[in-house]
Amino acid sequence: MAIEDDVLVVGGGLAGATAALAAARTGVRVRLVSYKKSTLRQASGLVDVLGYAPDGTGPLVDPFEAIDALPSTHPYRLAGTDALGRGLALFDEVAGDAYRGDHTDANALVPTTGGAVKPTARYPATVEPGLASDDRDALLVGFDGTTDFDAPLAAAHLGRAGVPFDVRGATVTFPGVAAADATATRFAQVLDADEGGARAVLADRVRTHLDGERRVGLPAVLGETDPEGVRGALEEALGVAVFEIPTGPPSVPGVRLEALFSAALSAAGVRVETGNPVVDFEGAGDRIDRAFVDRSGSAVPYRADQYVLATGGLVGGGIDSDREGVVEPVFDCHVPHPTDRYDWFEDDAFGDHAFARFGVVVDETMRPLDRRGHPEWANLRAAGAVVGGADAAAEKSASGISLATGYRAGRLAASGVGAGELTRTECGHTR
Amino acid sequence: MSDAIDDSDPVRVSDDWTSDPDLRPGADACYKCSTCDSACPVAAVDETFPGPKFQGPEQWRLKRKEDVDVDPSVMQCSNCMRCDSACPAGVSLSQMHNTARAAYVDEQLSPFSREYVRDRLLANYGRLARIGSRVPRLTNALMGSSVVSWLNERLLGITSDREFPSFAEQTFRSWFRERGGSQVSSAEKRVAYFHGDYANFNTPEVGKALVRVFERYGYEVAVPEQRCSGTPMFANGMLPDARRAAKFNVETFRDLIEEGYDVVCSCTSCSMALRQEYPELFDFEGTDVVATHTFEALEYLRIHEDVEADLRAADPEAAQYAYHAPCHARNQGLATQATELLGGVEGVEVTDVGDSCSGISGTYGWKAENYETSMQIGEEMFEHMETAPGETGLTECPTCAMQMEHGTGYEVDHPLELLERCLVR
Amino acid sequence: MASRTDVLVVGGGSTGTGIARDLAMRGVDVTLVERGTLTSGTTGRMHGLLHSGARYAVSDGKSASECIAENRILREIASHCVEMTGGLFVKRPSDSETYFERKLRRCRECGIPAEPLSGAEARRMEPYLAADVDRAIRVPDGAVDPFRLCVANAADARERGARIVTHAEVVDLTVDGGDVVGATVRHRGGPGASRAAGTTEEIHAEHVVNATGAWAGQLGEMAGVDVAVRPSKGVMTIMNVRQVDTVINWCRPKGDADIVVPHETTAILGTTDEEVSDPDDYPEAQREVDLLIDELSKLLPILAEARTIRSFWGVRPLYEPPSVGSEDPTDITRDFSLLDHAERDGVTGLTTIVGGKLTTYRLMAEHLADHVCDQLGVRSRCRTDEVPLPGSEDDAVLDEYMAEFGLRSPVARRSAQRLGSRTSDVLGTDEPNPVVCECEAVTRAELRDAIDEVGADLNAVRIRTRASMGNCQGGLCCHRMANELHPASDDATVRGALSELYEERWKGQRHALWGEHLSQAMLNHLLHATTMNRDHDPVPDSRDGRTDSAAVAWSAFDGGTDGD
Repeated sequence: MAIEDDVLVVGGGLAGATAALAAARTGVRVRLVSYKKSTLRQASGLVDVLGYAPDGTGPLVDPFEAIDALPSTHPYRLAGTDALGRGLALFDEVAGDAYRGDHTDANALVPTTGGAVKPTARYPATVEPGLASDDRDALLVGFDGTTDFDAPLAAAHLGRAGVPFDVRGATVTFPGVAAADATATRFAQVLDADEGGARAVLADRVRTHLDGERRVGLPAVLGETDPEGVRGALEEALGVAVFEIPTGPPSVPGVRLEALFSAALSAAGVRVETGNPVVDFEGAGDRIDRAFVDRSGSAVPYRADQYVLATGGLVGGGIDSDREGVVEPVFDCHVPHPTDRYDWFEDDAFGDHAFARFGVVVDETMRPLDRRGHPEWANLRAAGAVVGGADAAAEKSASGISLATGYRAGRLAASGVGAGELTRTECGHTR
Repeated sequence: MSDAIDDSDPVRVSDDWTSDPDLRPGADACYKCSTCDSACPVAAVDETFPGPKFQGPEQWRLKRKEDVDVDPSVMQCSNCMRCDSACPAGVSLSQMHNTARAAYVDEQLSPFSREYVRDRLLANYGRLARIGSRVPRLTNALMGSSVVSWLNERLLGITSDREFPSFAEQTFRSWFRERGGSQVSSAEKRVAYFHGDYANFNTPEVGKALVRVFERYGYEVAVPEQRCSGTPMFANGMLPDARRAAKFNVETFRDLIEEGYDVVCSCTSCSMALRQEYPELFDFEGTDVVATHTFEALEYLRIHEDVEADLRAADPEAAQYAYHAPCHARNQGLATQATELLGGVEGVEVTDVGDSCSGISGTYGWKAENYETSMQIGEEMFEHMETAPGETGLTECPTCAMQMEHGTGYEVDHPLELLERCLVR
Repeated sequence: MASRTDVLVVGGGSTGTGIARDLAMRGVDVTLVERGTLTSGTTGRMHGLLHSGARYAVSDGKSASECIAENRILREIASHCVEMTGGLFVKRPSDSETYFERKLRRCRECGIPAEPLSGAEARRMEPYLAADVDRAIRVPDGAVDPFRLCVANAADARERGARIVTHAEVVDLTVDGGDVVGATVRHRGGPGASRAAGTTEEIHAEHVVNATGAWAGQLGEMAGVDVAVRPSKGVMTIMNVRQVDTVINWCRPKGDADIVVPHETTAILGTTDEEVSDPDDYPEAQREVDLLIDELSKLLPILAEARTIRSFWGVRPLYEPPSVGSEDPTDITRDFSLLDHAERDGVTGLTTIVGGKLTTYRLMAEHLADHVCDQLGVRSRCRTDEVPLPGSEDDAVLDEYMAEFGLRSPVARRSAQRLGSRTSDVLGTDEPNPVVCECEAVTRAELRDAIDEVGADLNAVRIRTRASMGNCQGGLCCHRMANELHPASDDATVRGALSELYEERWKGQRHALWGEHLSQAMLNHLLHATTMNRDHDPVPDSRDGRTDSAAVAWSAFDGGTDGD
């Protein structure tokens, strides 16, 4: 007895969740299966559309203007600007007041923990007062028990970057966390629960360093469940604006973003299952008939009319490799790659690495294509980092690609439910 | 046929765990993303707890044969196993934690220390329960007495803030024996019930519900001799005890599987142990067979019967439940099963209280030094329970049930009991 | 700029620093110059093996006996640099029994303790050995950290009055009528250098020692002498974890890919032997890495699927007297040669020492120092075999230290093993002491100690502390290490140091880009490029020649809706 749905989305990151939501809102029955937690927790929590053109030009002021100039094989071109727009709109709805940036098409420049700035399209509300184009003088404050953010150094770097404001840095001891090496979630918890009046104590410690600045920046640990409460309390105590500086992994804003999507999936009636991987599938003609989810060694069949593959890239595990080659391990879709693995990378650390573009090739309907350019399966679509063809790391376009391809894959999957699909000859497989 | 990602397979350890299992190769999968740390409920409330990334791949990777010092903080790990389901790279975190913990207890903890004695007692709850259940009323009176509570805390470090679960008048096994065993005979539909200590001694109504529901579907239910699944033993590093229990269980159930039975559990920690921890830690003949043939009860029915349709047609008394998915259920992909199936029953409202850990995590929350932490972890769940409609909790895990009751005063049912109300009566 | 010294030692590898220490202990005024950081030659690219001598027992008995003698000495004087892992020579059914027996016999004849074991016994020691390993010989091989060893020698020499100068390249030797009287040194500057880039220094010396190893020929040319070093490259592949805790050797006559050496948290596979013409520029080929994995997984099947984190090549400074004329570099003796140029070339004031291996560095230094002291008329005795190196003075106290520092046990343990008797001084701090490199358990205190010694040279800090040498190869900690340079160094210096470390870490990882490590590399890339935007940082990096920040049209971007 297979578990049956209209659309089965494999992978629960940004792309998978977007695809599931886009499909669910048309009224079809959607199930999302995710093996593990998504890579959102590793990323900064910012939503990038396009920061730099493929030739390195940037930071781009208006990412949307630059989309048409992208190569036709770029996921944005394949998904189409309409899908990007709607994907962003879906994001804006899910994030609600927690995120800003939708009031303008222009990118924002957000300070990094290293004191650089980074272009992005949507940022948490808690990050907003820290934007680099805001010309208020800023005080950055770091914690002495942590190693990833040296506030005075970051301030110096921002200064050398030529930001339009004065910026200084200071270091304080975080209240209530005695041991070194506490996790970011611990800091966030202390502030969420206001353990021992930590919010007031932190404000006091910051205040001693304040010298006329109208905004204060702290590492992004200002609460996991109540960031606005934490920030509000600090702002009230300090009398100036307070902002967060996004960090590397583990990222508290990433955890919050994950929670926002989780709530949205629940509200939309998407059935979410976590913990077990999809390990096999069965085709029938040109369609995938069933996918098999592993439950400690037994393969349990799940059947859907349409499937969306959103398992991630090299980091999320949706693209895998060994000394011989590169594969997509769930549905065995074709992943183009040079035969010589020494062609997978460049000699410079920030070179134009082929591996940064590894993924399946899709057509405009988001269907993965086989070696000959035919859709692998009539009812299979792909979205997110599993889709190759762009160096999202260098471009700063990963989240936008997830939203655009996720939206398009989800909508097309939903509209494909029950409808006829491609004929056999149009499709690559005849199983 | 596609290739699954198999670099997440746990490292195989030899049958005799004391011959120093080497889990260092398990660190190969780790790419230091710290997602596990961000999902660890203990690290979020206790800054002296280094988190799963350190306890597992980092600590193991730093080990050189005998030159090792397991950090004592490994005993602070509650074995909730949320790290396993968080890790995007498939590191076998809880396997690493279990073995590090066992090594710590074996090599660094004195068997005469209060900690050791207390942990061993808690881990072997089943054996004590066997004795206590013979005189349930006396045991209940004793364990409920404040003097005993006080002694437990002073002498052993078992928190006096919690009430001991009471023993039932009649154990589940005794009930099953008395009614004459299975009331259904079938050559094709056979399940062997792994009930666990708690369902047997404390909540036999859960076991009864399982038997009645499965019989309604035409299954022959066997209830063989069995030992504790070992869950509290893993969590306390008492691996020799766990090994003895596991060996018995594997041998018993493997024989039944050969006769056509599948194994079903009502406790998600029991099913977790048989499906994941046994193959990770032991290598008895039949360990893998038992693992692949073990299911949680509702999971099994859903796969083999049209439970969804039957539930849609059911018409029980109206009820509202606040459902908490146990952490161990999450790892088996079962976190949404109860709300999905039972929430579809007319007149029954099942609200999921969120994906936080209940905080008690088996024996963890019973230790005096962890009581506060366990309540802090459970805070979010208590809040959601109070805002959810109704005043009855619902969960598959016995200790989660204890915690839910302790934090809100709600009565807590097992999904199988609700299933019984819907399908049998 | 000019200076005077008695002996100028050129080359900051194990031999050079060993010589500097020995001479300094004898009261000789020594200056050592090294063009890069210490160990940037062969020493920093060796296998980490402390030979028992068994590898040479059959082919080169003299080397073998020297090795076992030095092995015993180093265990004592350099205890914090050495891990006595033990070694196994294993054979499979297809390997020669006769050779096995000969190896066993010859070890004993050379004074190397050798114990025959059955395959089962070998597998009890090392469970990952292949099931078909049928016999093994147990010998006292060990693992040595060449960085720690070299740094300790240099530190001791400095303590005793020697001058140790890094980032200083000898551009010419000064020869006055057939007598070498000194050298011209150009300072290369850079983070951690004592002199600014471009400055030249004339160093006058009574005697010059050529301890440049693979570059000995190039230095010899400056004095008009011919030192026919035959550099031979070998690849080494570093595994992410220790699959073995014992050195595993393949018991067969010479061949490639026949050894696995545990090293700190990793295991190092080796190696090949291919002659190259230029020790600074030679091909690094994929097939060499694949060869190591394919061959050695016959001994340790787990290697076929195990993760590698980088590969690197080292160049052996092989030397044989020109008359010998071996064709195959594996035939060239591993014994060392002391070339008295007065005797052989009529050039006084210069001695070259070549060949040898790290295990016998102290013995080489002893011979050289004896010879030089002889030339200088200094009456002295070598005591480097008796006096422990700094850090190795007191083994026993290690365990006591560890509880004091509030560090987690494995972190304290590994830190104490690196720091030896300096542990208390370095780790005993009241300030918060977070772990900076989580993979290798390196705390802030240890990093700052290294920074105090070498300045803003993060690669020099890396080799002293092992920070960024673990699982993530610096992806998660390079920038944290760089943060520790501040405020002693300014932002420009910090950024330059970070870039240099990051690029250096990338170099070796290129050879490990598949499977789990490719995922690691992608995560690192996303963190540094996307989250930190280091690939498009508006601030110029010292390496890309810009001096102005890239102009950013700040007001064109979204400034938020607050604070209007």
